[in-house]
Amino acid sequence: MSRFLLHRLLQGLVSIVGASIVIFLISRLSGDPVQILLPSDATPEMIAETRRTLGLDLPLWHQYVIFAWDALRGDFGRSYRWQMPALRLILDRLPATILLAVCGLIFSVAVAVPVGVLSAVRPGGWTDRVGRIFAMLGQAMPAFWVGLLLILLFAVQLNWLPAFGYGGVSHIIMPAIALGWYPVAAQTRIVRSAMRDVLDSDYIRLSRALGTPERWIVWKYALRNAAVPLLTMLGVYFAAMLGGAFVVETIFAWPGVGRTVVEAVFSRDFPVVQAGVLFTSILFVLSNLLVDLTYGIVDPRIRDDR
Amino acid sequence: MNHWRISVLAALLASITAGAAAQIPKPATGNLTIAFAAEATMLDPAKSSAGVDQYFFGQIYEQLVRPDPSLKRVNWLAESWSVEDEGGKPVIDVHLRQGVKFHTGDTLTSDDFAFAYNRLRDNKVSKWSHLQASVEAFEIVDPYHFRIHFKQGDGSYVADNLQLWAMSKAYFDRVGDETFGNTPVGTGPWKFVSRTIKEDLKLEAFDDYWNPTQRPTVKNLTIKIIPEDLTRVAAFKTGAVDWIDSVPPSMVEEFRKMPGVTTASYVSPNNMYIAMDAIDDAVPMHDVRVRQAAAYAIDVDAIIKSVLFGQGERYAEVGKGEIGYDSDLKPYPYDPKKARALLAEAGYPRGFDIPCYNLTTQREPYQKEMGEAVFAYLSAAGIRCKVQGQEYGAWISFGRRDRPGHIDGFYSNMWGHGLPGDPGTPWAGHVHTYVPGAGWGITSVHSDPELDALIEQLKATMDLPERDALIRKIARIKHDRVAGGLTTYRPIVTFAWHDNVTFVGWPTPGFWRNLQQIGLKQ
Repeated sequence: MSRFLLHRLLQGLVSIVGASIVIFLISRLSGDPVQILLPSDATPEMIAETRRTLGLDLPLWHQYVIFAWDALRGDFGRSYRWQMPALRLILDRLPATILLAVCGLIFSVAVAVPVGVLSAVRPGGWTDRVGRIFAMLGQAMPAFWVGLLLILLFAVQLNWLPAFGYGGVSHIIMPAIALGWYPVAAQTRIVRSAMRDVLDSDYIRLSRALGTPERWIVWKYALRNAAVPLLTMLGVYFAAMLGGAFVVETIFAWPGVGRTVVEAVFSRDFPVVQAGVLFTSILFVLSNLLVDLTYGIVDPRIRDDR
Repeated sequence: MNHWRISVLAALLASITAGAAAQIPKPATGNLTIAFAAEATMLDPAKSSAGVDQYFFGQIYEQLVRPDPSLKRVNWLAESWSVEDEGGKPVIDVHLRQGVKFHTGDTLTSDDFAFAYNRLRDNKVSKWSHLQASVEAFEIVDPYHFRIHFKQGDGSYVADNLQLWAMSKAYFDRVGDETFGNTPVGTGPWKFVSRTIKEDLKLEAFDDYWNPTQRPTVKNLTIKIIPEDLTRVAAFKTGAVDWIDSVPPSMVEEFRKMPGVTTASYVSPNNMYIAMDAIDDAVPMHDVRVRQAAAYAIDVDAIIKSVLFGQGERYAEVGKGEIGYDSDLKPYPYDPKKARALLAEAGYPRGFDIPCYNLTTQREPYQKEMGEAVFAYLSAAGIRCKVQGQEYGAWISFGRRDRPGHIDGFYSNMWGHGLPGDPGTPWAGHVHTYVPGAGWGITSVHSDPELDALIEQLKATMDLPERDALIRKIARIKHDRVAGGLTTYRPIVTFAWHDNVTFVGWPTPGFWRNLQQIGLKQ
């Protein structure tokens, strides 16, 4: 198990280094931050001075070496726009994004699992039909639209929830639903399909023959086995939510890292982009690692194989 | 003393006391939460890198001169100022208002403006050092009197409200650069309390503010940042915020009819125009008839009405209210027949194909759609646009001349120039011929020696009436020759507030979001 863990950690490290190189190169290919930073009537001397101050006059390889060495020591440079350490800018906002992604994931799983299971238990029945419509709606409605509809209904019409901002439990409900809405559809399909396979298997038939209550068969035996494919995808969904939180963060004025990084991309604020992408990569690797470890808990055979 | 004398004296004293009491403003009370669509990045005027930064620091810092709500330039921290001649070189002589205090309690003196000047001209600190480039020396005469000596005339310095922001030298010396930038201290009506990036800015009314009549009447102000239009509107409708900026153009009419809501609309100082390559002999727009054809081909009024929901003001070279505005100078009317005739006369009876570059990042509402509509009108007249979208970073770089190559077609562009507005600096940038390294024509794809000479003359002219006359002259020539691009419209921005709020719209030099006079109804 520890060898497996070490192996996955090394793989993750390679992925993170790879991501840092890719984002470093791509951000620099995308344009010159100095021309965005300075007024349009700035003189060529000012442009040259600013480029020198930011180290952008150095060869690309030299810039990367400086970046990598500083990053290893926890220094990602200062944001060109915000004039503050890029790492602080990201870390201050990371908890809000993680909270949003976790709540979005909890919402999607909380909806997808029962809907998927009920659809699988009675294929073709009304629960299955409703489940399919639900899944279709989930995939057809983008997060920004779901978010705006939620605001119109729960904030403007009913006045139950705040329309924007970051704070108590009431603030997280609508953003989490908007973010988790899209994955619900795919997760419902995964659960339904996995449950169908498991429910058709021999050991389930044997359980039924032995007179085990159907409720136990579905929710205890079958669901545990059907959960493995869903678990596999949860790591990916969590990472996708971290990366895709930008839209939801903008709609709900949620002070997360997604909005910060996307704005940094547009303003060519390289230190913030690099710090943001690197930390998202680390979270991606960690969430996948966590999923790998969870397999063993759900299915002891996988743990023993390792 | 006789009894009647005592009575008269007492009455006199009472009336004086009452008069003085009337002068003393009631202390600000209450809390108000409002929302802006965009967020400033820097709170330090010297390190500011974008106009939007004024949304925040413009509430805290003040200048010597500023435009009032009617856009009339008024003395602010300057009690008086004049432009004088000293040995053939201009000097701006400033007498400071006395009794002005910083939020720390320090008194504003000439030393603070000397400090501000040195900070603003240092290109290692300031992004605006070029604005101080014509200044030769800053001379302190006494604590409330200083003189700015110029190497040569700099009309923009006067036109742009004397450029300097009041910054506390004593505070900087006490706290250093980092705190100075993050915890700003100015002389303005609002004191900085706290800021959470991507969330809000908290301010408190400054009790010792020098201006007793034009000041906030609410004690605590929170400015929330809500970038999404519909969310901002929802926050307003639910009462979570009581004042919003940037009402979406499509909803302005709805807001105007909303009970319990007041709105105010202002023309923004951002001038939209369509740049066109006119320097290459090979391009059709080198011929003035083709440029005029483009001007006649576009129905700007129809686009404003249908794309912008009427939230734009058409202008011809110089906007209403700016120095040099000429009400007799009218925009080109929409006349597609004349456009085709001019094209044929110039040798293009079947029109021609040309690249047209559109900004796809929204800097102004519906700006991308505006560009698309303009290019569609050009295409209909025979100037067949091959439209290429550009996001903001690419668009900025593409428009500059200090890169290999230059714009080779039409290009949707804009230039903000503050309020009340003076086109001197914009014209130096996009009308004057490009001169590498000299600061002229940094985004220009036009060359006209007569206009170059006039723009250079304008740059040196510090007398405002003379400037006004010169701008009118340049505007007419520019208009006739469609030089430096085709002017289209200036966006209109609308604010809305609930009836429990009092608000008078004041501009900072660059924008209308100054909260000089905001409060709650008593």
